[in-house]
Amino acid sequence: MSTMTINGKLAPLPDDPDALLVDVVRDALDLTGTKLVCGAGVCGACTVLIDGEPAVSCLMPVRAAADRNVTTVEGIGAAKLHPVQKAFMAHDALQCGFCTPGFIVAAAAFHDSWRAAKGTAAPTREEIGAALSGHLCRCGAYDGIFRAVADACAGRFDGNDVLPPRMEARDKVTGSAKYTVDINHDGQLEGVILRSPFAHARIGELDLAAARAMPGVSAVIPLLGEDHIVRYVGEPIAAVAAKDRKTALLAIAAIKVNSERLPSVIGLEEARKADAPVVFEKSARKKAGNVSEGGGSPASWKGNIRGPSAAFSKKPKKVRSWIDGARAANNPLLVEGTFRTGTQQHACLEPHAAVARFDGDRLTVHVSTQAVFHLMELIAKSYKLDRDKVRVIADHVGGGFGSKAALGVETTTAIELAREARAPVRVAYDRHEELSVTGYRPATEMKIALLPSGQGELKALSLTAHADTGAATNSTIAALARLIYPAEAKELADFDVISNLPAGAPFRGPGGPPMAFALEQAIDEAALRMNVDPVALRKRWDPDPNRQRLYDWASSLDVWRNRKPVAAQNGRYRRGVGVATGYWLYLWQPGSKVEVAVKGGRLIASTATQDIGTGTRTVIANTLAREFGLEPHEVEVRIGDSQLPEGPGSGGSRVTASVIPPMLLAITQLKAAIQQSAKRQPIPGSNAPWREMLAVSPDLSASGVRPEDSRQMAPGIQSPLKQAGFMGWILGWMMRRFSNLAIGAGVPSSVQIVEVEVDTWLGHVRVVNVHTGIAVGRIVAPALARSQAAGAVIQGIGYALYEAREVDCRTGDVLSGGMDDYRIPGIADTPIIDVHFDQGGFDHVLGGSVGVGEVATVPTSPAVANAIHHATGIRLTELPIRPDRLVAALKGRAAA
Amino acid sequence: MTASAMIATQAGEFRAAGTDLSERRRSGVSKGPLIDISATSDTIGIHWGSDGSLRVGAFTTIAAIAGDARVAAAYPGMIASAHGLATPQVRHLATLGGNLAQRSRCWYFRNPHIACLRKGGPDCPARSGNHLYHVAFDLGPCVAPHPSTMAAALLAYEAKVITDQRSSLTISDLLGDGRNGAADNALQPGEMIKSVELPSPLQGERAHYKRAISRTHAEWPLVEVCARAVVKDGTFQFVRLAAGGIAPVPLRLAAAEAALQGKSASAANIASAAEQAAAGAKPLPMTGYKLDLLKGLVRDLLEKIAE
Repeated sequence: MSTMTINGKLAPLPDDPDALLVDVVRDALDLTGTKLVCGAGVCGACTVLIDGEPAVSCLMPVRAAADRNVTTVEGIGAAKLHPVQKAFMAHDALQCGFCTPGFIVAAAAFHDSWRAAKGTAAPTREEIGAALSGHLCRCGAYDGIFRAVADACAGRFDGNDVLPPRMEARDKVTGSAKYTVDINHDGQLEGVILRSPFAHARIGELDLAAARAMPGVSAVIPLLGEDHIVRYVGEPIAAVAAKDRKTALLAIAAIKVNSERLPSVIGLEEARKADAPVVFEKSARKKAGNVSEGGGSPASWKGNIRGPSAAFSKKPKKVRSWIDGARAANNPLLVEGTFRTGTQQHACLEPHAAVARFDGDRLTVHVSTQAVFHLMELIAKSYKLDRDKVRVIADHVGGGFGSKAALGVETTTAIELAREARAPVRVAYDRHEELSVTGYRPATEMKIALLPSGQGELKALSLTAHADTGAATNSTIAALARLIYPAEAKELADFDVISNLPAGAPFRGPGGPPMAFALEQAIDEAALRMNVDPVALRKRWDPDPNRQRLYDWASSLDVWRNRKPVAAQNGRYRRGVGVATGYWLYLWQPGSKVEVAVKGGRLIASTATQDIGTGTRTVIANTLAREFGLEPHEVEVRIGDSQLPEGPGSGGSRVTASVIPPMLLAITQLKAAIQQSAKRQPIPGSNAPWREMLAVSPDLSASGVRPEDSRQMAPGIQSPLKQAGFMGWILGWMMRRFSNLAIGAGVPSSVQIVEVEVDTWLGHVRVVNVHTGIAVGRIVAPALARSQAAGAVIQGIGYALYEAREVDCRTGDVLSGGMDDYRIPGIADTPIIDVHFDQGGFDHVLGGSVGVGEVATVPTSPAVANAIHHATGIRLTELPIRPDRLVAALKGRAAA
Repeated sequence: MTASAMIATQAGEFRAAGTDLSERRRSGVSKGPLIDISATSDTIGIHWGSDGSLRVGAFTTIAAIAGDARVAAAYPGMIASAHGLATPQVRHLATLGGNLAQRSRCWYFRNPHIACLRKGGPDCPARSGNHLYHVAFDLGPCVAPHPSTMAAALLAYEAKVITDQRSSLTISDLLGDGRNGAADNALQPGEMIKSVELPSPLQGERAHYKRAISRTHAEWPLVEVCARAVVKDGTFQFVRLAAGGIAPVPLRLAAAEAALQGKSASAANIASAAEQAAAGAKPLPMTGYKLDLLKGLVRDLLEKIAE
């Protein structure tokens, strides 16, 4: 048997020729800081050092590690933290943290060789970008990573330990943070799902006997619905739990499936044809998924087209007649166009995963989820278990972005396999599953018409959106155009186009980015035709008080004031500056509770929410610490466990506004209780009166429930739904009734100014600078809010320029199932990002803060497109703006 | 190699560092037996000939090649190619021989559930399906571009490949002409690449490499070009252009080379020669854009060389 030396200790290597180093490190040695993500050497999450050089352990047969020195993240800061680890902590160069160990390993190696060669000279962004080009971060923490690596190389973190702005940063930079995929119970089995190879088929016989009889297999279960019909490639058919993944895969291959192919239809174009095969017969429609954060409203549904959902229209007939009239009259102000957006995958680096374990009648499920409490409710209901017998845990979550908010197949399968096998079972999707069956932001086709009046007001807007929702419905894109730029009349219609593709899912501001891509380019075009500054036109047409302040900020920026006329350059490289606006709803979750307690002199806040990288732990800690005059690291935050008091899901940017108000109420109560029970009051003039009182306080606790926002509103602050009249009221009622979400007053808003450089020869767009102005009230955790705002821009750049799921339009196979074919932004694609927080506008919310996650990504893609237009005079109407599309547009051709 | 080893190699797939193979093993695209191969003294390392020529062992890692200062001075186009491929963590593992012998990156080939010519299937699903990243020079039944960046560079340098069975193979001998849809190269069963030889560089030659991609780094090339030239007295004395990402094998851009030979190194001449880069192209419905990128790359690199 051969051996390797890992983190200074000798370890045996297995004889299996197919064993890979990553699996030995994670499974046999339980060094789970090393993560398996892409399995293809693209993302770098599995990076280890081999004799001091970074290498991808996912592509390294164990044979190659024999007699070598292997260092994992656990070995980097084992004795004391490496300067790079301290720098990542101090600069908040991480969010969900799943990619962080890989970055740390490579950055530490880069730092050490840089320092050896160049002392304390700081490397450039280009040098750092090239050195870390083998790493991907889906949260987009690159801005902080640049600063961290540069400062560590410059010697600024050679000294003492640091107190990071993010509560759990130390666990994430050392690799000790445990995610769901890292859970390893004694006797735990591996669950694998057999998926449909067909886009549409009726499954006849399912013969599980051979699989059940295989050695090492503990459970084999069918996963088909009662109609036995599969409607997309990848729909679950059956599942196996076995002693390891290899055995489970063999068992999956032994399942005999007898199926009858049914006619299928793939994608937006084909599914709309009159003779297209129908995906959901009437009786099966309830099986369709949901692509929005709230429940759906009823809509007509014929064949594969569900819609129009047009309740947010206002005098739609007038719109039609005015626009027809303007077209007939060749009104030069009438802006019309068709815009298309691509399918964006969440591409969470931690895959969808669950580990289920029964102890008697108690069920514990570790899940990579955005909603521990709600999931507990759903599991209890689905499996008819008492709520106090079900516990859902998510200490750390490696990204969600909307795709991990529901009770997913990974979780139900793990539970059912664990029950059948009478042993703990882990189900963790592989990368192809993650990039094909876990949801996506649907592609769209949007037809827009925008008509300014002769007086320069916005007279009419028409937007019709068809969304490529696959086996799902409830896309809300056009409707979102009702709540911005009031007009005399609006005709807004949403259609779901259902086809034999996996179901779409909510994705960071569902419907917002595509709506903005069409609307914000139409506004830009109107400004050009009217010969008005595009920021000034928005300021004229958009009365929202938050955005009025952001428009003033944007128009004062040098990059905006100094911009050249449109298409003023004709060289190879052309620069342009664009603007776009975005908004999102201020949502909060009724019933959210926070308990605050003093125990043994230490403050503890508890609520059953979770931190998916957004910074929820820190938001809670900072608020609690601030109210007591303490440092955040002196308080404890308990989240990620459904047994804690009911907390909000991490979706709809709702967490901050759901947890701070009840926490502030609880704090007031707790303070009163502490004062009441105090034997003596603090010394007058004490710098830290609460510190003194807490030290001697008996154990006490208090809890608060999220109050209604019943305070008197400041002038101009109202629910955005007021603009939508009675239908807005209905929507608000439905969101509460069916989604447990309240829509508050005031509108979280963002305005972005983007500068690009277009390489007209190679069709390449480089985003040079981004200024992102955001109004979400008071910022509770500034470094983390900045990280999220910058990450939202980077994800928006991915949407604008690189990301598109590709499928085979005949078979429905997802082709972009690997991270090399699904292209998310890398560190070197990161522009200089200036984040401006306008901290007003939400004083009517207790604590003054609402969420930032979604609004910050909405305007990026149209701002990029407007900047490209400014540079070249060419309007790119289809996302992503890849080289193939850009060179075609520059040559005046239609792209394929 | 012993007789029994020969028989074994014919029944299995060679594995050197395994950076390409490991992914195919995990996905199930590669299922057969493996034959682990290791470096011997003549198959690893960088060896200079007395005439200034270079021999690089097939087991030399891409990082070792990319990091060698003398190689960089003599063969800058190959070094830039080595720096441009994959990622630092892959380059530290991956070998030159493995890079040349790697298999197609086609997303149909890489999907274990889809049949294709490369996997013994009856036809090419990309040709009639989604071939956004496929060839623009349609030379054979399989439309996947050859993935080896080093092969394109070595084509530009007119390198020779030595195997355990044959010596002095050109890159075209090694990879074929693109008409065999079933194979990624023209190696015989059980034939192993041992080393690569590059003739000594020309006096005063300059070289550059660039790939057209959507992002900045770490992406399979849409199109890549390695260009070498000698410009003397303002005139192109020698030009070699080799392109990857556009055909089932790396291609010499002979028409563009010929258009510049003996011509003055002016921007206008370069621009018109770049148009010749697409001579003989047969793009697929979705790959016409690659010809624009190809022309842009040729122009970019030649302008840099002529600076």
